[in-house]
Amino acid sequence: MNWDPWFLSLGLATVIAPTVLTIVLSLPALISRPLGEGTIARLTQVSVVVGLVSSIAILALMLFTGSRDVPIDLGTWVHLEEQDFHFSVLFRFDRLSVPFAILTFVLCGTISAFASKYLHREPGYVRFFVLFSFFQLGMIIASLAATIETLFAGWELVGLSSALLVAFFQERVSPVRNGLRVWAVYRVADAAFLVAAVALHHMTGKGDFFKLMGETPWPDGTTALASNQAFFVGILLLIAAAGKSALVPFSGWLPRAMEGPTPSSAVFYGALSVHLGAFLLLRFSPIIEAAVATRVLTVALGLGTALFATSAARVQTDIKTALSFASLTQVGLIVAEIGFGLYYIALIHIIGHACLRTLQLLRAPSLLRDYHSLENAIGGQLSTERPEEERTGVWLSHVWYRWAFDRGLLDAGLQRVFVDPFLSMFRLFDRWERKWTDTLSGGESRESDRVSAHIDSLEDLA
Amino acid sequence: MTLTSESNSSAAEHALPARLNHLLHQLEHAAHLLPAQGPIRVFVHHNTLHSFEELPFDKAVVAGARTFSCQPYLAESRYRDFLQRGRIRTEDLQAVLRDDLGERAGDKVANLSSRLDIRSSMLGYSLRSAPTAELRWLVAETDALNRFRSEAPSAVREGFIDETRRWIMRDWRNGHRPQSTTGEPDGAELVTSLLEQFGRKSIERWTAAQWEAISLQLTWRLCLAGARHFQPAAPQPTAASRRHRTVLFEATGLDIDLWVDDVMIRFCGAFLDQGFARWPLPDRSRGFLRSFCELYDRLAPIESWMKQLGNELQRVRSSKQSALALIAEILDDLGVEQGETADFIGATLLALRGWAGMVWQVETRGDRAVVPIPHGSLVEYLAVRLLLERVALNHAQRTVTKFRGPLSQLRQALAPPERAESQGLEQRAFRLFQLAQVLGWSPNCLYGLSPTQWEALSGEVEAFHGLERRRVLQAAYERNYRQKVLDAHAIRNRLPVERPREPLFQVITCIDDREESFRRHIEEVEPRAETFGAAGFFSVAMYYRGAGDAQYVPLCPVVVQPQHFVREDVMVTYEESHKRRAKTRQALGNASHSVHVGSRTIAGGALLTGLFGPLASVPLVARVLFPRFTGQIKRFASRLVQPPPMTQLQLERSAPTPGNHEEEIGFSVEEMTNICERLLRDMGLTSNFARLVLVMGHGSNSLNNPHKSAYDCGACGGGAGGPNARAISEMMNDPRVREGLAARGLTLTRDTYFVGAFHNTCDDSITYYDLERLPKSHQRSFGDAFRAIDEACDRNAHERCRRFVSAPLSLTFEQARRHVEARSEDLAQTRPECGHATNAICMVGRRERTRGLFMDRRAFLTSYDPTQDTADSAILTRILQAVVPVCGGINLEYYFSYVDPTGWGCGTKLPHNVSSMLGVMDGPLSDLRTGLPWQMVEIHEPVRLLFVIESTPERLRGIMQANPPIARMIENHWVQLATLSPDNDEIHVYERGEFHRYQPEVDSLPNVDNSVEWYRGWRDHLGFALVRPSLPTTNEKGR
Repeated sequence: MNWDPWFLSLGLATVIAPTVLTIVLSLPALISRPLGEGTIARLTQVSVVVGLVSSIAILALMLFTGSRDVPIDLGTWVHLEEQDFHFSVLFRFDRLSVPFAILTFVLCGTISAFASKYLHREPGYVRFFVLFSFFQLGMIIASLAATIETLFAGWELVGLSSALLVAFFQERVSPVRNGLRVWAVYRVADAAFLVAAVALHHMTGKGDFFKLMGETPWPDGTTALASNQAFFVGILLLIAAAGKSALVPFSGWLPRAMEGPTPSSAVFYGALSVHLGAFLLLRFSPIIEAAVATRVLTVALGLGTALFATSAARVQTDIKTALSFASLTQVGLIVAEIGFGLYYIALIHIIGHACLRTLQLLRAPSLLRDYHSLENAIGGQLSTERPEEERTGVWLSHVWYRWAFDRGLLDAGLQRVFVDPFLSMFRLFDRWERKWTDTLSGGESRESDRVSAHIDSLEDLA
Repeated sequence: MTLTSESNSSAAEHALPARLNHLLHQLEHAAHLLPAQGPIRVFVHHNTLHSFEELPFDKAVVAGARTFSCQPYLAESRYRDFLQRGRIRTEDLQAVLRDDLGERAGDKVANLSSRLDIRSSMLGYSLRSAPTAELRWLVAETDALNRFRSEAPSAVREGFIDETRRWIMRDWRNGHRPQSTTGEPDGAELVTSLLEQFGRKSIERWTAAQWEAISLQLTWRLCLAGARHFQPAAPQPTAASRRHRTVLFEATGLDIDLWVDDVMIRFCGAFLDQGFARWPLPDRSRGFLRSFCELYDRLAPIESWMKQLGNELQRVRSSKQSALALIAEILDDLGVEQGETADFIGATLLALRGWAGMVWQVETRGDRAVVPIPHGSLVEYLAVRLLLERVALNHAQRTVTKFRGPLSQLRQALAPPERAESQGLEQRAFRLFQLAQVLGWSPNCLYGLSPTQWEALSGEVEAFHGLERRRVLQAAYERNYRQKVLDAHAIRNRLPVERPREPLFQVITCIDDREESFRRHIEEVEPRAETFGAAGFFSVAMYYRGAGDAQYVPLCPVVVQPQHFVREDVMVTYEESHKRRAKTRQALGNASHSVHVGSRTIAGGALLTGLFGPLASVPLVARVLFPRFTGQIKRFASRLVQPPPMTQLQLERSAPTPGNHEEEIGFSVEEMTNICERLLRDMGLTSNFARLVLVMGHGSNSLNNPHKSAYDCGACGGGAGGPNARAISEMMNDPRVREGLAARGLTLTRDTYFVGAFHNTCDDSITYYDLERLPKSHQRSFGDAFRAIDEACDRNAHERCRRFVSAPLSLTFEQARRHVEARSEDLAQTRPECGHATNAICMVGRRERTRGLFMDRRAFLTSYDPTQDTADSAILTRILQAVVPVCGGINLEYYFSYVDPTGWGCGTKLPHNVSSMLGVMDGPLSDLRTGLPWQMVEIHEPVRLLFVIESTPERLRGIMQANPPIARMIENHWVQLATLSPDNDEIHVYERGEFHRYQPEVDSLPNVDNSVEWYRGWRDHLGFALVRPSLPTTNEKGR
């Protein structure tokens, strides 16, 4: 029997379900006729169920037919002869993408069911679900992508929707600032990813994983790149992964991302988004493998992150930040596993970690109650790791505490090393420009200087 | 309690130099402004503006609003909504204005309209105002000068245009310039130029639209010219001290609080941590300042603004300077003058008022914290904060300002230049212009006004500014509801008032407003039942420890410090199984604690997530998709390890004095008798006992809810009142207590039996205690009561469901019960129940006076029988001493959290993050948020609590005289007060220091056969109605 039509239709359903949801939710909102809460919740449910059932069916079919690699080709969209560039939308169901897609649907489905109650009567309900649907679409595209461009498209959707959801409470200052911060780090990662994609095209003329990493299904592919080429691309991919997964030195943004409503924090930073970097490395594992230096770096980065994050997690006093660093600890380990070439273990680790962490984050507001019942069960106060007396006087442990307390000084370090020089450079340009325009206009040339940054007075409290 | 940084406080205080001593007092004073909310595990409702209670309410909210940058009332647009929906009627506005203005109400202002008319128009119509630039745009680019405001009455509009037309045709058409003796010198010029502009020659052919336009344009020009005559008083220089940060922020847009708060929040979190972090803060015991110095000394900060900090800390460490001296030094450095010090300190503390308040709370109420902190922490907190601010200011000054002088002059150097006056002229004119349209001040009237008249007119309008309008609107809003309440009481009390003659059973519940509907339903289901309300700790103030609990918790109002300990023990027969289960629980607890902590470490986390992580998807999906089912399974499972159900209270002690040692636990018989007598006499339940009396404590069970305790019983200090109900029942059943009571003239019927119970207000379930001891003879009575109460629970759940938008209105009783059960088990549910939302009334009197009245879960119902009170109102006094601050506090907390949900309240629950086990932050890093979350107050109506007390004005005056705290709340109008005569339906309302006889506005209330008939299909607040079945039977014959 020929299973190809089945694969094709199921594969299409997996991709189309979230796409349709995105369109159905966002179009009415665009024309100021947003859907009601109930409708949105039901539509999201339907989309998730369709996607989940099709992806599980594909898995079943793949097991049944023994096929390890199913491509779904949506054709070439751009083809430039002389540059030898073609942009095709191609998806691929294999041992990496199918579990990841199923995980995405399970978690997104659970979280959307949770959020439909949790955000009940919240003014930003529609906005949340629109962004959420974009996020889900991005995750599915990224996990199923078979060309680097398609993967990048999904990657961008995830990034954009995440940053906007961090800034969900846009009427307060700090969510917006932190959303911007997350976005800025994502852009660095995106830039690295984009350069990697361009470099790959430049080196091989292909963005297609089949061609890049051989026809052998994941994880046994091999790359045609030379070792030094692979190293260069590998480093770029590592930077991209580090930005997305908050590895050292980008870790500072992860706790800041907890500004959104609890469910979005849970699904993004506990479960899906934060693993996307690791996923990228898994996807490009043949390239990482091709250069020993990249592997060493990957392991070092992973272990370093894990060590840092577990220290930071120990000193945090609020549940969400503690959980975010706990998450990071495991992500660091997962990256290290990838560096060691333990791909299946890394994949299982991702899935298990995502489920457990989501549950923990959703239950985060129960902390007091949980501790109370634990205390009752144990019959006394819960112990912290080391009593204080033992620790005093131990110089090293205090420095360690201090280092963890300030989150490894990573944010401040980045600020000092990159951001400050960058800003002062632009301020210098600004001063030059001002001088120049002032000279030309023979006086104060900037109208904006005269406008006060604040509204005069609030009449109501006058 | 004093605030000192030294350990031996009193000695040190004397040793302090005068300046520092003074500083300490100022700080202590400022600390009272901080939120009084303690660790959130025990949530105690209190008046958000407690520190302003010395002031009358209206003054206090404005002062409070200034101090905390919050809103004192709702926005004007909200009140206008209420006006449109009829929630505020015009009569209410008129009445409030008349009261407010007194004799000045009828005075004509500038011979145009009476003061009352001007004010009521300003309330009835929204007067638009905008910044000058926008106003100019409005006038130039919109129809504002061509069309009447759409809400101007058409009669006024027609008359206005007609008069203008006649005036122009008569006086101006021929190019005359009528001399107005008093008028505007160039007023004539103004009119003629406009006429020319419109084309005076063709005046006969002007269309209606043109006439409308010219009328309005004339009015606008006249108003603009006239408004010049009023000079508003120059804004008084704000007395409050401005922080350097504010000045800097306004001048440059740089907010140093962002830098300082980041450090302060994380450090406060670590310092106050109640056992969450695995690594505690090193050197914590050495105090806030020292541990901060030690911490930042270990590894110098690398943030550029903190470069100086290292040196500063070195200096502090080596000089051994006290925190107070450090504060004094920094204040000098910053150029803070003696006179403004108090304000400056207050403003600095309020910058992070949640955290500063928590430092103060944990410091002063160490008994309520798991991990207490040293005294003097708030002083050190301030020292560290100021230290950081100085460092930040130095850096900011160098990098973003051009000012190079000393910090002490920074504020003067950066203060904005004085703005040219004439501010607000357009706004004043535009207000007059809009009023002219609705009040029909046509140009011919305005033309004749003298400068003094203009001044009076504009002055009058300006005096009734936004804040004043909102005050009046709030008063009208409250009046509207007050009238309805008092009418309902008057009407109800024209009907017979009597206790059921032979009550089948009696139920005593908490006075809580949520029990109003529950009691009503019991009385409806079983009209022979009788209910009572008493503060939900039932006079049993105790520390209680359940069989499965680790620690004693206080179960009584916060103001009471219990002397007695009570423990729940497992019956001897079950001792073995109890021990076994306790061991299992301990093992499970240890295991799950390890999982909890381990999942956050490297190795443990890897193991757990790798091996068992995928299994977590099962509870994850189940909990979210099938909350009720999962809850049942969980309960079933935990039943296997919970303490055996057969327990008893260790209630009687053998030792002479109470304490927490084995033989000191419990009460003496004498004490029990006192408690029982007190409870019965307070409620007036001294005769006509039923065979069965049920005492019901209450609490609320919900998941994923850091504010859970705020839903529990306020009279139990934010705990669940089940054990209190159980204890009082056991005391009442004790024959020795009965003897003692009889000796004091309080004889209980021999076969009266008390049963304790617990009402879960979230899922409407009832747990009964000690039923195995229920005498065989009473089982039948209990069966009857049980069935009636179960039915009442269903109905209560049903009535509650009407307020949940996510529960369809078409639910049946059983479905409603399942709905509320699912709510209490749902992780995603941010509104497990509505708490005290909508509370508005506190009735202190016999239940017979309100029985059969549908009060929409808005009334605290305290049972009190004035006919049994002593001549000096001793019983009423002690009831009011508890009820006024407690219910008033709940009501005011809801008021403030509703009026400004993000300012006074803690905003929406969605981003809340439990921090240091003490409170919640918004997201990963913010001030500790105090007050109530929006989801809790969402359906509230912010009205001050109306006490309806069954007593006479004379008696209340006596009580107020003897009890200043009660008098203060009432006289300053933090609560409203009315009395209901014990003998008839006469009602007196307390207003401005006097009791006035109340005249009811309506004569009848809707009559319904049951509550469902009245509320079915409605989500919004409901009015009063009489529910027939629970009215006394004599009425039954009448219908």
